[in-house]
Amino acid sequence: MSHSSEKPEISPAAKRFIIALCIICFGLTVLEFVIHRHAYFALEGRPMFFAAYGFIAFIIVVVGGIGLRKLIMRAPDYYEAGDDHE
Amino acid sequence: MNSLLPSLLQIPGLLMVFGAVLVPILPHALRQIWMLAVIALSAWLCWGIAPGVHMTTQLAGLDLILVRADAITRPFALVFHIAAALNVIYAMHENVRTTATAGLAYAGAAIAALFAGDFVTLFIYWELTAFTSVFLILISRSERSFAAAMRYLLMQVSSGVILLAGAVILWHSGQGLSVQTLDASTLAGGLILLAFGIKAAFPFLNGWLQDAYPEASVTGTVMLSAFTTKLAIYMLALCFAGTEILIWIGAVMTLFPVFFAVIENDLRRVLAFSLNNQLGFMVVGVGIGSELAINGTVSHAFAHIIYKALLFMSMGAVLHRTGTAKASELGGLWKRMPLTMIFCIIGAVSISSFPLFSGFVTKSLTIGSVAKDGYFVVWMILIFASAGVLEHSGIKIPYFAFFGHDRKFEVKEAPVNMLIAMGIAAGLCIAIGVAPQLLYGLLPYAVDYNVWDAGHVLGEMQLLLFAILAFVFLMVRGLYPPEIDSTVLNTDWFLRRLLPRLTMAIARPILSVWFAALGQTKKLVMNGLYVGERASQQTGLVSGVASTGAAAGIFLAVFALLLLLLFSM
Repeated sequence: MSHSSEKPEISPAAKRFIIALCIICFGLTVLEFVIHRHAYFALEGRPMFFAAYGFIAFIIVVVGGIGLRKLIMRAPDYYEAGDDHE
Repeated sequence: MNSLLPSLLQIPGLLMVFGAVLVPILPHALRQIWMLAVIALSAWLCWGIAPGVHMTTQLAGLDLILVRADAITRPFALVFHIAAALNVIYAMHENVRTTATAGLAYAGAAIAALFAGDFVTLFIYWELTAFTSVFLILISRSERSFAAAMRYLLMQVSSGVILLAGAVILWHSGQGLSVQTLDASTLAGGLILLAFGIKAAFPFLNGWLQDAYPEASVTGTVMLSAFTTKLAIYMLALCFAGTEILIWIGAVMTLFPVFFAVIENDLRRVLAFSLNNQLGFMVVGVGIGSELAINGTVSHAFAHIIYKALLFMSMGAVLHRTGTAKASELGGLWKRMPLTMIFCIIGAVSISSFPLFSGFVTKSLTIGSVAKDGYFVVWMILIFASAGVLEHSGIKIPYFAFFGHDRKFEVKEAPVNMLIAMGIAAGLCIAIGVAPQLLYGLLPYAVDYNVWDAGHVLGEMQLLLFAILAFVFLMVRGLYPPEIDSTVLNTDWFLRRLLPRLTMAIARPILSVWFAALGQTKKLVMNGLYVGERASQQTGLVSGVASTGAAAGIFLAVFALLLLLLFSM
């Protein structure tokens, strides 16, 4: 797994996966205008709500995790090593 | 006594506890047959128990209800038996009598607890689950696992003691001891809720789960994942359905573990965070308390036990073969362990709620009930948490173990028995997902919710697929955080670090004063001895022998006091 400064090389298999994923996502976008979604809340009824929320939520979870790492990540032997490793 | 034992053997689960007694003395093959037979017999007993009270007794003037079933008891009992049987199959390759004995007794105690009709009987099984399951952690035989096991035991036993305290207050207030709907705002109700909350890993009470489960053996973690927390969910559903505070507690539970899971390196600990997150959905359902929500909680617990066991089994197989479950040390195993990889992915898509897999047809009920009751913020949190589940359990677990950076492991596929157990669990995940009416038929209320509504399926697919797109975006841009071997601080930090520090902070000044006083006393005694010796030499009034004896007495008294103080700390 590469660090944030490096961009990992994408294998041909991964490229195929990404293309397939993009096609499926495009298909789901088209279906949004074909299938009626029953909504309990006004926001839920907005076009592409779930797509946008899924994308944004995932980014927030990962970015939040990165932020949290600065706060609560310690050495692997933190509890075994005592106070010196804080 | 003659009639007591046959009666006790009719209690589902208790049969397994008694059956566990024979496990250590049976040869390996016969042991497996015996354990599966006892589980099957216990399941058969359960199936015949209709809702209602079936067995009572009197103990020290207390009316105890040994067997009582509710509308939600049968699905929980059934899935507990399925989990117990899967555990036996999964552990067949190993000849560890302690794990087999503890595992069977633990599952049995949890099943017996489902049928406990009063809080004293429940307390007994509650503690029995603690004392049997702790061996599954101790069996790892490391200093680390021993310490984790002790912390686990401390929390579990504390939960039992709090439960008993709540029960005593309840009994004293004239409400009786029977398992009943409780008011969380009363002292008894609050204490019992706290006891359940510890086992259900409520926020700030959750540290034991992520601390202890990954320290258990390969097979032990799978066994642990099924029973304790779901027993707590079951009891919450019986006693606190419709308690609004649980909606918010559950919402927080779904939310915070997803951030911890992103940065956790140990994949079994990631699954422990994920378990916590899934419990949150169930707690929300209990808090809503409507028929749809309770159906959601029960069905979700049922499906969750199976797919979570499947995920723990797949990571256990990886650990068994490679010797590590750390994401930073794993990768590329799909070539070597293709079947384990397939089973893991089935578990991953099930927990992520992909349509046609078990999580979708169960979690939809809970989220639907939240929307139906108009809890917009909670609904937003649950949808957000669903994307989080996809991140850690749907993508991170399979990606870092089987794909990602190829670590060139030269390992064999998982043992056949492990594959069979994973195969059965994976089959159940698909069966429930494809034919949800199989599970819906077991639920306490008729299911009035169309999970196959085209708009609902479309929304779920958009949420998940665009979340995967976000993962791809982060990966391609090199923004996804690297896996780092580390310790992620959790709420167990309060017990492991803050509490000892606070104790020392309080004890240090007291000890300083104590030792200063001790020094002064010593000085005084020594001066007294000196003066006495001189006086004795000059006047003969004070005997030197007598002074030495008195000094020794003072020292003895001080020493005794010191010991008393030390032992009372």
